[in-house]
Order: sequence, then structure tokens, then C-alpha cells
Amino acid sequence: MRLGGALGLSAILCVGIARAQDPQALEWLRRIQDATHRLSYSGTFVYQNGSRSETSRITHYVDARGDIEKVEVMDGVPREIVRTRDAVRCYLPDAHVVKVEHPLDRGGAESGFPSLLPDRVNALARHYDISLGGIERVAGFECRKLTLAPRDELRYGHALYADTSSGMLLKAVTFGPKGETIEQFAFTQLVIGRVTRDQVKTRHAAQSWRVEDSGAAPASLAGWGLSSELPGFRKIAELKRRLGERGPVGQVVYSDGLAAVSVFIAPLEGRREAAPAGLASVGAVHIYTREVANHMVTVVGEAPAASVQRIADSVEFRPPQ
Amino acid sequence: MKDRISQLMDGELDDRAAAETIGALGRDGEALQAWRTYHLIGDAMHESRVLSAGFSVRFAERLSAEATVLAPRRARRESRTWFALSAAASFAAVALVGWLAFAPPTGLAPSPVAQAPRPALEAQSAPAMAPSAANDYLLAHQGFSPRVSIQGMAPYVRTVSEQTREPRK
Repeated sequence: MRLGGALGLSAILCVGIARAQDPQALEWLRRIQDATHRLSYSGTFVYQNGSRSETSRITHYVDARGDIEKVEVMDGVPREIVRTRDAVRCYLPDAHVVKVEHPLDRGGAESGFPSLLPDRVNALARHYDISLGGIERVAGFECRKLTLAPRDELRYGHALYADTSSGMLLKAVTFGPKGETIEQFAFTQLVIGRVTRDQVKTRHAAQSWRVEDSGAAPASLAGWGLSSELPGFRKIAELKRRLGERGPVGQVVYSDGLAAVSVFIAPLEGRREAAPAGLASVGAVHIYTREVANHMVTVVGEAPAASVQRIADSVEFRPPQ
Repeated sequence: MKDRISQLMDGELDDRAAAETIGALGRDGEALQAWRTYHLIGDAMHESRVLSAGFSVRFAERLSAEATVLAPRRARRESRTWFALSAAASFAAVALVGWLAFAPPTGLAPSPVAQAPRPALEAQSAPAMAPSAANDYLLAHQGFSPRVSIQGMAPYVRTVSEQTREPRK
């Protein structure tokens, strides 16, 4: 399996689509992905962006039937997110609301959640220069540094620090064009193994809470598209869904293999106020809204503001003939 | 300068000259060293108890480690609380002190693809949407990010950074 993957990567490299990449670096990327899916672990990590930092607990449980993952945010508004085999549930105890996201059925054995399949690694190498760095210690683990430096200013760079023995990702730093840190996730404590099924169950008795189900289903958003696509970003999903208590909302997702940008399209009919236009950000994610053809277009992506704005500006509606 | 320092210690300078000399002590390391040496000499002559070596350095360190005077900080906290309270009532204020950093699109890269010129977006003092709405968008988006496959669910915490806690409905 691992050999097969490595051969696949080598084949991709030989075809010459990807620029020269260190095969070892690509193998490390695959190791990180494997570890993320196959290891049971529990730990505490800190998310930082700018001067803000926030601590969360993460627990990942794996058995023969698949994996379950739970994240509990320890600072600020309490929130718990549990990903089971068929859904992501976000528990908001203050509001007594559960938000449910279902992965799209993509008609394969692979779950609907995205993964870095070999063809995506190929795409990655086209837009990022992937290289291995030195050894650094993170949360007591000896980690190998892996850098994905973007080949243009349309995307952010990433520095990944993975445990040399297990491949587990201990720290992930997103950096901007000048090398400045945009945001960072870093474990402060991690135990690999020793996780029970009970540890990934929600601690909320949420039977009486309001359920907001996304009801996502693949759909064609007739007439909607981009007048010019952002280099390297190709469409990976197109669906209709509800959003919070609103719906239906269209969603089209573009990705370069690592970063993703979602375009949400919501009708403005029945609303009197004009759609507010503007840009917002949280860490590496930018959100840009504008009104197009009596719809509110909201673009959300972990990409520089200029990239998100470019996609938003190119959203257009051409009435189907 | 050393004469001035000596005169200052003896109280022989008028106000203006004293102020100038004290100012010089703040700027000139050598003058300050002389000031300290003269005091040490004076203390020795008066048989005062000599402070241990490096006292001033340690004192400065401990002083800077001390909690800052409470008054200005308390004032800031109050205004924060005020915002938080009004946030409960006011949609706009929730957004204002919310977790979103509404940033101007600084550093926009010139686009290599031909585009109709449009005015750059102005910095927004009023946000485009409420945090709860933005959170819905973030949650809906995260599941499609390939990052989840190398990082697990950690990026989902982005949705909640520094949000004002809302009262239970």
C-alpha cells in the first residue's frame, strides 16, 4: 500500500507535470495524512492568530469501523465539535443548538471528507514548493519540519512539524508572503493511543436542542459560475444546502489541493435591505461578501484576502439559455 | 558634567540647571554611572548601609515584573464590560467586539489576470455580517478543506475565536 503510493507519486513526478520535488518530502506529507487518520490520540492544542490564542482539547478514536474525532474549545464560548463516520455535529450549549453537516456522497468507498489523494498531491506540487527541513521539538516530540512554500501570492505557505516516529502532526504554521505568521496550531500536550469510545462522545444531553441540519445534496447551480478562475483552483464540489436557519443556499467549492475556497449563493428575495458588502477575516480565513444578480454572494476561503476577493469579484450569473 | 552632578547632589543648582542635569542622567549612561558612584562614596562616608552589588538592576527587573497600576487597566475593563453588555442588546455591537477581525484588504497583489478595474474595498468599521452568521459560513466551509485530511478537526476551532459570549436564549 505504502509502496504503491510511493510508486504512484514517483510516476507522477516522472511525467514531469510537477516541478522537481523532494520525493522524501512528499512521502512525509503522506505519512502525516496516514497518522491523522489511523492513530488514536488525545491532546491539547493552542490556536493562535495575531495576539489571540485559544486552547482546545482534541480526541481521535479509531477502530475497525472507522474513526471518530472530538474537539472541545476550552476558552470563550463553549463549543464542541464531533465528527462521526457520517456527520460533523457542532454543539452550542449556550444556544441549545446542534448544527449538523453531512459529507457529500461522492459515490465511492472513500468517505465524503476530502483527502490528499495522489492526484491532489500532484496538484499541490504544482503550486507549492515542498521541502524537508530540520528536526525541532514540539510538546516533547521530536519533529521533522516540512515546508510548503507557495509558488505565487495567491495562496499562503505552510510549515508542518510531524513526529519523526509516528508521523503525527504536532504543529502547523500558516505564513504570508513575507514569511510572517498568519496563524498557528500547536499541540502543548499529546498522548498517542489509549483512547476509548466514550472519550469521543459528546458530553451534552442534546435531545431537546434545536437541530440545524445542512441537508447538503449535490446540485447544479444553473447559470452561476466564475468569469475567470483563480490559477490552480479547480471546482471540487457543487451543492445545495441550508445554512443556519436559512436555505436553500448554493455552495461551490474550489481547491488547489491544500487551500479551499467556498462560494455561497443565497437569494435576497423578500429582503428589503441591500446586501452588505465587505471583507472579514479570522486567522488565515477570509470572508468576502457582495451582491450579484439579487443574490448575496459570500466567499469563504483559507487564502489571502486578494485571492478571496478575486474569486468573489469574478462570480457571475448568466441566465441559462 | 561631573561637576554638575556633584552640585546637584549638594543642592547647589537652580531648578532649571537641576532639571537639565537630571535629564542628562536619563540620557547619558556615563553620567548616570558617575551619579551612582558619587552616592556610593557619599554613603560610605556617612557609613550608611551599602546595598548589595547589582541592587539597582534587580530592583528594576522586579519593578517591571510587578503588576501595573490598576487604575488605567480597570478603566479599560469597564469599557469592555460595557461593550459586552450592549452586545447582548445590540446586533452591531456584538459584531463590533466579536471575534472577527475586520481588516482592510491591505497588500492586495496586482492581479496577473486582466480584470475590470474596481475601487479597492475600504476598511470597514461596521462588519458585513454578524459573528453567528459568519460562523455558519465557516462551519459549512471547513468540511471541504483538504487541510482536514492532514490536520483533523483542529481548523474547526477557527469558528469561535474570541467571540462575545451571548446570553442563553
